[in-house]
Amino acid sequence: MCTSSENFPIPNVGFFSRKCVRHFLTSDTRIAYLDLRPMGTPHAGADDGSVIRQQQFKKTAVMVMSKADAFTQAGKTAVLQNIQGTLQFLQRFPPFNQMEHAHLAYLVEQCQLRFYAPGDSIIKPADGPVEHFYIVKQGRVVGERPHTAKGGTETTFEITTGECFPLAALLGERATRTEHLAAEDTFCLQLNKLAFIKLFALSSTFRDFALRGVSSLLDQVNQQVQQKAVETLGTQYSLNTRLGELAMRHPVTCNPATPLREAVTLMHEQQVGSIVVVDEHKAPLGIFTLRDLRHVVAAGTNDFNEAIERHMTQAPFFLSPDHSAFDAAIAMTERHIAHVCLVKDQRLCGVVSERDLFSLQRVDLVHLARTIRSAQRIENLVLMRGEIGQLVERMLAHGASSTQITHIITLLNDHTVCRVIELTLADKGDPGVPFSWLCFGSEGRREQTLHTDQDNGILFEARDAAHAAEIRGKLLPIAQQINQSLALCGFTLCKGNIMAGNPELCLSRAEWARRFAAFIREATPESLLGSSIYFDLRVVWGDEQGCEQLRRGILDQVGANRLFQRMLAENALRNRPPVGRFREFVLARKNGEKATLDLKVQGLTPFVDGARLLALAHGIETNNTLERFRQLVAKEIIQPLDGAAYEEAYHFIQQTRMQQHQLQTRENLPYSNRVDPDSLNHLDRRILRESLRQAQRLQSSLTLRYQL
Amino acid sequence: MSLFSWLRPATPLLTEELQQRLKRLPVVAELGECSLREQRWVVLDLETTGLNLNRDRVLSIGAVVIEDGAIDFSQQFERTLQCADMKLAPSVLIHGLGPSAIAAGSDPAQALLDFMEFLGDSPVLAFHAPFDQHMLGRALKDHLGYKLAHPFLDVADIAPLLCPQAQIREAGLDEWIDWFKLEVFERHNASADALATAELALILFSRARQQQIHSPLNLQQRVSQWKRRQHAPSF
Repeated sequence: MCTSSENFPIPNVGFFSRKCVRHFLTSDTRIAYLDLRPMGTPHAGADDGSVIRQQQFKKTAVMVMSKADAFTQAGKTAVLQNIQGTLQFLQRFPPFNQMEHAHLAYLVEQCQLRFYAPGDSIIKPADGPVEHFYIVKQGRVVGERPHTAKGGTETTFEITTGECFPLAALLGERATRTEHLAAEDTFCLQLNKLAFIKLFALSSTFRDFALRGVSSLLDQVNQQVQQKAVETLGTQYSLNTRLGELAMRHPVTCNPATPLREAVTLMHEQQVGSIVVVDEHKAPLGIFTLRDLRHVVAAGTNDFNEAIERHMTQAPFFLSPDHSAFDAAIAMTERHIAHVCLVKDQRLCGVVSERDLFSLQRVDLVHLARTIRSAQRIENLVLMRGEIGQLVERMLAHGASSTQITHIITLLNDHTVCRVIELTLADKGDPGVPFSWLCFGSEGRREQTLHTDQDNGILFEARDAAHAAEIRGKLLPIAQQINQSLALCGFTLCKGNIMAGNPELCLSRAEWARRFAAFIREATPESLLGSSIYFDLRVVWGDEQGCEQLRRGILDQVGANRLFQRMLAENALRNRPPVGRFREFVLARKNGEKATLDLKVQGLTPFVDGARLLALAHGIETNNTLERFRQLVAKEIIQPLDGAAYEEAYHFIQQTRMQQHQLQTRENLPYSNRVDPDSLNHLDRRILRESLRQAQRLQSSLTLRYQL
Repeated sequence: MSLFSWLRPATPLLTEELQQRLKRLPVVAELGECSLREQRWVVLDLETTGLNLNRDRVLSIGAVVIEDGAIDFSQQFERTLQCADMKLAPSVLIHGLGPSAIAAGSDPAQALLDFMEFLGDSPVLAFHAPFDQHMLGRALKDHLGYKLAHPFLDVADIAPLLCPQAQIREAGLDEWIDWFKLEVFERHNASADALATAELALILFSRARQQQIHSPLNLQQRVSQWKRRQHAPSF
């Protein structure tokens, strides 16, 4: 796994300047540091290190003392005060905070500290292959790239205290493509290429950071999120755990002919809630659970000697042991089951129960979903909203990502909406007209958080305008009732009245189609805003065919209308990510409060709008933003690297937003999407900035694509 | 014994090895016309037992090197001088060097010679340089019988010369650190002070170039002019 040898051909001996040699002549400690390197450790890069070292030793053979002497010498020589100070400074920042002390000390000792006045060029393309690695000790460095279209230059990035550059150019052994300039009085620690190479070979942490850049930081953040949530809740295992590790090794099984009494006895003895019925090859034929037993008893069966196959649930749902705990949780929620069989090579190899998944929880996802679906009164649903909040907190604790959580919230919200509709129909009486309940906006994209309001409508089939009006008359009272009930359940009423109870949103398929066509044809500011809400439509309850036809209509029309696409692109540029040319973040100050930025409008919306535009323009049917990016990559409309970067960035902003919401709930504050970057820790703040920059990149790619 | 021999200072007794090393020290040159960047500088800070130029003694030496226009972390000097009969004085609170640290220090002659070898023929930069120059000069004379002839430039003079807009009179190192918004590590020893002074010097060299001061000699001349003007009575 020695990746470094490809990236780093060993520099020829000429690279050793007079100066490098002098270091070895004057300081014994340096030799000691070199040898502190864990020899023969399984870490990669050992080859490079030893070759470089040999060369150095050849050069300075006269001066080199035995290794034992070097160690004693190192012990005697106290670390110089200033080296110590710089070490402590670097230890405030990743990846240096995770590097071994000896490696970090080596880095610092090899450094030079340089000063740059504002406007001073630090490195530029004309300098040729990059010879140094830089860490900003104080100040700010900006990247200026010549602007191809407009002339002049544009700032492509900012680098501040504790950050380093130019990794890509250094690793690629090429010149930088961007001129790096000091934006203010700036001090940089400068490490020569030779020392960088050695460090790269010595420290796996440093190597990982250099190769993966910001992505490796994102991993750290995710670990941090889990850790924080785990600290609050005191449980640990991840939703990404393989099911194979969670499941009972030896599931309780029996054959189809086993008498009911015997099977139940077996379950009782083994203290389990289910028994799997298998054939002679251990393939699962059915499952019998305590719930089935309840049915049997309630049905008044007297003969407990009947074969179990008469009472089991046939063809039980199964997953492979390689699926994750999250997959199982979702399956249980969707299917209202409490047990999932694990099957490998058509043989049963385990069973996962909901108790295995949420062993320590009082309320769990599956239970919650089932309770929602069987709630008898609206009041019961209202009570359950609080439990959804708790569930989200636990999901974070179990390492769920923001995508998983929005998925779960959407799922539970869908269940709630369906149940509200069912209860209302039972209460008000069935109107006798089939209809579909639509949702738009974030609900349509399956990106809901707990902080959500209603965006819904009704779709039905009608022969003509008169027929449509007649049906509308029947459906409106029911729709209004549903809206009110949903409001009780925590779905805030829509301020813009985008609700099914509004006559303009309770339409036949022909009326919807006409309305959408007008949006695309007219392209007024209102219709553009409308398209950004309505074109993410989805059916929550009822038949889905009508909605699919509407969607295909939209895709065809948008795909053929370049002008509308251009307007959408302009629209997608309205919300500029708050990263500035000259400051870390550009923040809005409201009523003398502390300066904040809006994670939703300024962070997520650029991604959502961009993804929608590109998806609509290229006939992609899915609504979910991340899914849209994936399909855009699959269709080669955006580069895989860009897609991955957008996805990561979107994901991180959403995660930050949710943590924010959780925090607000815990402190009894009203929900808000505004965040003060200063309240984030250093790592989060830095990644948030990078994420917002990705939004900026997406926007500039739209500018280019649509020549705005 | 000559009649006047008591007037001559007693030459300290040095081992053969130290005498040899002393002889090999380079001859010091005047400041030249090379560029500020080409010049190797040694930035010095001393901790002393007090501020009395005649009575107090050097306790520790901290120095960093500016070479090729950058502070080179691989060249640093840090020594505490052994001082057998030191009394506990209030200055302990400032330099933080307790009697035990002093007792564990290096032999002064040895340490001073080490420093002179580290210094080579480079000019010295220090904050309030005359004090360091005097204290170091006296220590070298007492312990090595060596006459310090290296040029010293005072950063406390260069700073107001190049930044007259600062309007801070009699500013100390801390004031200048604040003025330039320097983020320095905890300063409680000679090395850290030397590093802070060196960072200040890097900024000042950058300002000097902007003001068409390109050589060390040029800088020295401008400092002298500025000082004369400061001392001249104003009308």
